[in-house]
Amino acid sequence: MTRTLWRDHDWQLIHTDPQAPALHMALDEVLTHEVGAGHRPPTLRVWEWASSAVVIGRFQSLRNEVDGEAARRHDIEVVRRVSGGGAMFIEPGNTITWSICAPLSLIKGMSFQEAYAHMDAWTLQALGELGIKAWYQPLNDITSEGGKIAGAAQAHRGGAVLHHVTMAYDIDASKMLQVLRIGREKLSDKGTQSAAKRVDPLRSQTGLPRAAIIEHMIATFRRLHGLTDDSIRPDELAQAETLAQDKFASLAWTADVA
Amino acid sequence: MHGEYKMPGGKLIVVDLAVRDGCLDRVQVSGDFFLEPDDALHAIDAALEGQRADADEHMLAAAVRAQLAPGVMMYGISPQAIAVAVRRAIDQGTDA
Repeated sequence: MTRTLWRDHDWQLIHTDPQAPALHMALDEVLTHEVGAGHRPPTLRVWEWASSAVVIGRFQSLRNEVDGEAARRHDIEVVRRVSGGGAMFIEPGNTITWSICAPLSLIKGMSFQEAYAHMDAWTLQALGELGIKAWYQPLNDITSEGGKIAGAAQAHRGGAVLHHVTMAYDIDASKMLQVLRIGREKLSDKGTQSAAKRVDPLRSQTGLPRAAIIEHMIATFRRLHGLTDDSIRPDELAQAETLAQDKFASLAWTADVA
Repeated sequence: MHGEYKMPGGKLIVVDLAVRDGCLDRVQVSGDFFLEPDDALHAIDAALEGQRADADEHMLAAAVRAQLAPGVMMYGISPQAIAVAVRRAIDQGTDA
């Protein structure tokens, strides 16, 4: 296997109606598998959220990370994703999330650190064009003069790499801290316990609506790497719906690391 | 008992365990690190299970390393860092 370039691939865009958290988890697994098996060209999938969620990393402890009672009180679903990294607090419209499913050849020979930066080079360029000076902060964060913007996570599956990113658009920090336990410790570590009620690095630094930022991100990817509008195939959706129900909505998976 | 260690230049490693008859019991390693393949986490827990509670960091790290299949990739976590988190859980662990 030799290293491939972005332009060697026929990139597809999936950006559909809002979907449930467990279905997003399942779509990552199914689409990454399809790309790895050569059944689908490399794909950029932009997520829209149908409901609020906490998405914990593959190796995080459910009880250590999430205040289950607070999550229930706020009607927030807790799901576990297939990749490592930290917990994300999602309310529809408060984050910008996407997945890239690509053949491993795209990051062939790279260290983990290089691979993360490589998969988000277009992201930094898009943010720069929006007036945000952003940079990669190893291992897996994108930060800016106005604070942390995003976290990324990668997972390798049978010949493909899944790289997904969540950017904070306008997060209700007080609600997030009620639901995420680790968030409290991290904030206190950093001496920012009296932080603003909202974490809104993208909104405050661009003054743009969320949809306009997404539009610009997609246009940047299209200009740099090429991008064809696509949709989820019916068989992919059917697989993902089954997987969402049987695996990602199950306590066995969510509490796999208790 | 509960211990945490932020690996320098890496991620947070969390260990929950009990000590029974001088040995580690019900060991759970967790955190925001990256492991490939993902089932390596269960191998790490299994490697620590039953280790003596007076084992030093070097011995604990060696036990983890010995249990890891060839080709396991770690990012933001290492056997040494896991061993530090385990010792912290044993030495200063609070009941989680």
